[in-house]
Amino acid sequence: MSDSTKNKNIKLGAGLLTGFLSLTLLSTCEKAIDLKLDNVTPVIVIEGGINDLNESQIVRISKTYDFKEANRFNGVSGAKVVLTTADGLVVNYVESSPGIYKSPKLKGKPGTIYTLTVNAGGETYTATSTMPQKVILNLLTFKNFTLLGKTREYVAVIYDDPPGVPNQYHSIIRYKGKVVFDVATDDRFNDGNKVNDLLFYELDKMNPGDTIAVEFQCVDKAVYKYFFSMGQNLSETQPVSPANPPSNFNNKALGVFSAYTSSSRKALVK
Amino acid sequence: MRYTYRVLLLFLLIAQFQFSFAQIKRTILGNITDSKTGETLIGASVKITVGTSAVAMTNSYGFYTIGAIEGTHDISVSFIGYKTITQRLILSKDTRLNFMLEPGNQLDEVVISGTKNNENVSSPQMGLQKINIGELNNLPMLLGERDVMRALQLLPGIKQAGEGNGGFYVRGGATDQNLILLDEASVYNASHLLGFFSTFNSDAIKDVTVYKEGMPAQYGGRLASVLDIKMNDGNRKKNTVEGGIGLISSRLKVEGPIVKDKGSFMISGRRTYLDAFFKLSPNSSINRNALYFYDLNAKANYQLNDKNTLFLSGYFGRDKLNLVKIFGFDWGNGTVTLRWNHLYSSRLFSNTSLIYSHYSYVIQNFMDDSNFEVNSFIRDFNLKQDFEFSISNKHRLKFGLNAIHHTIAPGKMTATGSSSVNQVSYENRKGLELAAYAMDEWSASEKLKFVYGLRLSSFSLLGPGYFKTYDAEGNITQIKPYGAGAFVKNYLNLEPRFSASYRLSPFSSFKAAYTRNTQNIHLISNSTSTSPTDLYIMNSNNVKPEIADQVSTGYFRNFDDNKFEFSAEIYYKWMQNQIEYRNGTDLREKDNVEADLLYGDGRAYGIELFLKKKFGKFHGWIGYTYSRTERQVDGLNEGKWFYAKQDRTHDISLVGIYKPGPRWAFSAVFVYNTGNAVTYPSGKYQVNGRTAFYYTNKNTYRTPAYHRLDVSATLEGKPGKKFQSSWSFGIYNLYNRQNAFAINFKDAPNDATKTQVVRTTLFGIIPSATWNFKF
Repeated sequence: MSDSTKNKNIKLGAGLLTGFLSLTLLSTCEKAIDLKLDNVTPVIVIEGGINDLNESQIVRISKTYDFKEANRFNGVSGAKVVLTTADGLVVNYVESSPGIYKSPKLKGKPGTIYTLTVNAGGETYTATSTMPQKVILNLLTFKNFTLLGKTREYVAVIYDDPPGVPNQYHSIIRYKGKVVFDVATDDRFNDGNKVNDLLFYELDKMNPGDTIAVEFQCVDKAVYKYFFSMGQNLSETQPVSPANPPSNFNNKALGVFSAYTSSSRKALVK
Repeated sequence: MRYTYRVLLLFLLIAQFQFSFAQIKRTILGNITDSKTGETLIGASVKITVGTSAVAMTNSYGFYTIGAIEGTHDISVSFIGYKTITQRLILSKDTRLNFMLEPGNQLDEVVISGTKNNENVSSPQMGLQKINIGELNNLPMLLGERDVMRALQLLPGIKQAGEGNGGFYVRGGATDQNLILLDEASVYNASHLLGFFSTFNSDAIKDVTVYKEGMPAQYGGRLASVLDIKMNDGNRKKNTVEGGIGLISSRLKVEGPIVKDKGSFMISGRRTYLDAFFKLSPNSSINRNALYFYDLNAKANYQLNDKNTLFLSGYFGRDKLNLVKIFGFDWGNGTVTLRWNHLYSSRLFSNTSLIYSHYSYVIQNFMDDSNFEVNSFIRDFNLKQDFEFSISNKHRLKFGLNAIHHTIAPGKMTATGSSSVNQVSYENRKGLELAAYAMDEWSASEKLKFVYGLRLSSFSLLGPGYFKTYDAEGNITQIKPYGAGAFVKNYLNLEPRFSASYRLSPFSSFKAAYTRNTQNIHLISNSTSTSPTDLYIMNSNNVKPEIADQVSTGYFRNFDDNKFEFSAEIYYKWMQNQIEYRNGTDLREKDNVEADLLYGDGRAYGIELFLKKKFGKFHGWIGYTYSRTERQVDGLNEGKWFYAKQDRTHDISLVGIYKPGPRWAFSAVFVYNTGNAVTYPSGKYQVNGRTAFYYTNKNTYRTPAYHRLDVSATLEGKPGKKFQSSWSFGIYNLYNRQNAFAINFKDAPNDATKTQVVRTTLFGIIPSATWNFKF
C-alpha cells in the first residue's frame, strides 16, 4: 500500500473518530454558506497530454473564471498548439471546438521527451514531459470494509511495480463517462512488488450493474507532483495555505502537460 | 566573550559590596507548606518587617532564604488563598524556620487583603500568566473535562489554535514554539483525541505558569513561550482519595504520606470511555473497535534530612484508536523526572534533575495484502543542574548547566510477507543541546528592580548517517556520510534576557523587557489541524536555529486594595530562520523533507489588556489582545510579506464566577475572536474534468469570526463531612453558534454546475455533568 493510501487511512481514522464523537455526543455538521470571494483577472490554463495509444491527442486551453459562476469549460480559441521532440517530430494541433485542440492520430513512445508549445493571446507557453516506461494495470478488485455497522465499498488497482526504478502513477475513476476521482501515487513503499492500491472513492452512489472505468497512467515526477498537490488541495484536510499546483508550463500558465502511458479496465459493480 | 566578561565583573563588584556591611548578617531559611496536606507552596512570600525590610519568595520546591541582621524581627508569610502568619524572631545565628500555612477560603477577601498581594506590580517579571487550579474547577469546559490548556487560552496573548487543535499560539509564535514542561520534562504532543483535550489531568497539577516574555534564563529551546507545569507532591499528612465520574471519562487520585511529614506519594489516573458505547452493540464491526485515552501521573518525594530531598515523578499517557481488522493508531507521551534538592549552605540551594521524555506513535494497517506497521518516536535524555545563590537580599543569583541528548526516529515501516509493502526505515537523527546560564534578580532600590541574565546555548547534530545538503531549489548538492558520534553541524547562540520594573506607587509600576530565544527542534506540519504524526526535525546543514528577539513594555496597576488587577503590555518581536513550505509540498517525504522547506523572517506585534477582579462573591477577568503576525519568505507570495497562519487581529475573553455561598458556584465564559489569515480561491477552472481552484495571494482571506458562550454550575456537598461530593453541570456553546472548524470548496452534490463553500462545525451546544468525590 502506498504512502498516500496510508495518509488516507489516517484521514479516514480521523474522520471516523470525528464521526464516533458526533454519533455519540456531539453534533458535527456541514452547511453550505455564503462567503465573499474576490474576483480577479483571469489567467490561462493549459491541460494536455500525449499517451502511448494510437489516438488523437488532446490539449485543452481555458481561462479561469469567478468562483460564483456556473462550472464550465471556459475555452480559449485561436491558439496555436505544437508538439515537438528532439528527434524532429513536429505535430500541429487543430481546434475542434472552442478551447479543444486535437492532433492527428498519434502514438507516443516511452522514454521520449515531448515539448508542447502554445501560442495564445500573444503569449507563448512551453512545457516538457518525459513518457515513462509502461506498467500495465493487471486487474481491478473490489474491497469492502464494515465499520460501525455500515459497509463501504472501494475499488483497488493491482499492478506489478518494476523493481529498482522510481515510478509514479495517476489513477482515474470514470463513471458514466465523467471523472469522479483521481489520485497520484508512487512506489516509495512498494518498489518491485505486486501492488494492491485501494482508491479511496466510496462506491456507495453506484448501483449493482453499473460499470466504472479505471484508467491507470504512468507519469513523470513533475506530473505526479502536480496531481499530488491538486489532490491535497481538494482533500478535506487541505493545507493551511493552499497554492496552485506546481505547473510544468512556464510563463505563469496554470495546468499541466503530461506524457503518459495509459492502461484501462472496466468493472461491474456487484 | 565580552558579555561573559562583563557579567563576571559585575558579580565581583557585587561580592565586594557584600563585605562592606558593618552589621552581622544572618540567614533565615526554610520551607513553606500547606498545613493540611503538607504540599509545598510555590511563590509564597516571606517578608521581614521590623529591623530590616526585605522580601523573599519560595522557589519551585517551596524553599526560601532571606538575609537579616542580628536582632529582633517580625516575619510574615503569606500566599494567595492562605491565612497570613506573622512571627517574632530574635535572630542570633543562621536559622531554619519552616512555616505551615492554613488554607483560607480560596477567594475570601478578609483573609487576602491583609497580605497586600501585589506581586504582579512589584515583580520585574513581564509577560507572566498563572492559572489557579482551584479556580479551574469552577470554569465550564467541553464535556466537563477540566483542562488547564483551555483555561490558559482565556488569557490575553495566549490564543486557541482552533477547536480540534491541541496547540496554542503565543505572541505570534507557532504551536511548536511553546516549551511545554511537566515537572521539567518536555511534552512533545500535549493533546489527546486529535487535539480535543490536553494531556494534563488537573487533579495531578499544582502550579501552571506561562512566560510570554522575559523567560528566566534557566529556560530555553523554544521561541514563543514557556509553559511550566508542576505536579502535586502528594499529601504528607494523611491518605486521601478523590475522583470524578464524567460523561466521557473518570478520574481517580490517591495520595498520602510515605513517612508522615517526611515523604509522600501521589498517583492520579484518568481514562475516557467513549468506546464503551460501542460495547453495547451486538454488531462485531462496532463492539470490537477501540477509542480511548488514558493518563497516569505519579509522584513520590522523600526528605532525607534538612539538606536533602528526593523527588521522583512520571507521566504516562496514550491514545488508542482501533478499527477492527482495518486500522490501528496509537500515540502518547512518557516522562520520568528524578530530582535531588540539596542545600550546600544556608544561601546556596541546588537542584539536580535527570529527565527522560519520550513521544511515539504506531500506525497499523491490518489488511492482508497491504498490511504494515509504522513506528516513530522522539526521545530525550536530559541532565540539568540548577543553583540558586542568595548573595544578599538585593541580589539573588541563579546559574546552571543543561545537557539534552535527542533522538528522532522519523519512521520505520515493517510488514509481513504477504504484504505489498516493503520494509522501509529512515535514519534516526541524534542531536545534543548544551546550555549554560546565569541570571541575577537585583533589587536596586525599593522602586527599581531588574532581572538580567544570559544563556549560552549550543546545538550539535550528531552522526551516524548520510547527511544531505540542498540548494535553494531543493536539489541535493551533497550527501556526506558520518560515523557514530561524529559532529555533523554545530550552532552556538547567546541569548540575553533582561527585565526591569519601576514602581510608580505602591499600586502601580512600569516594566520593560528584552528577550532573545532560540529553537533547535522544529515541528513540520502544513495542515489546518495538528496530527499526532507530525514530524519533528532538528537543526541540520539546511535548517538553522530559529531566533526570536522580543521587546516589550507594560503598565501594571492594582485598584481597591489589590482587589482589582490591571495590566497593559505592548510587544514587538523579530524572528529569523522561520520555516515555511514550498507550494505543493509533500511532507510525508520523510527522507527528504528538508528539500521542501523554505526559510524566512517573521515579525509580530500587539497589545494585551487584562483586568481581573481577584476576590469577592463575584470575580473574574476580561482579556483583550490586538495582534499582527507576518512572515517574509523568498519563494512564497513573490517574496512579499504575508500574514502567518496564526495571525488574528482581535481576541476577547470574558470570565465570570459567582459564588453566592459556600456550596454553589456559577460561572460563564465568553470568547470572541476575528478570523485567522487563510488562503481561499479567487477563481476556478477545470482540469481532468474536475473543478480546480485558482489561488492568488497567500493568506489574504480571513476565516469567519469565532464566538461562544459556555456556562456551568457547581454544587458542593454539605461541608464538614468526611466523604465530600460535588456535582458539576455545564453547557458548552450555549447559544449553539456554528463556528467554522473547516471551510471547504467543492462541487454541489446534486448540481455539478455549482461550486459550494462548505462550513464544517464540530461542536454545537453540548451539555455535560460530572460527579466528584473526596474522602
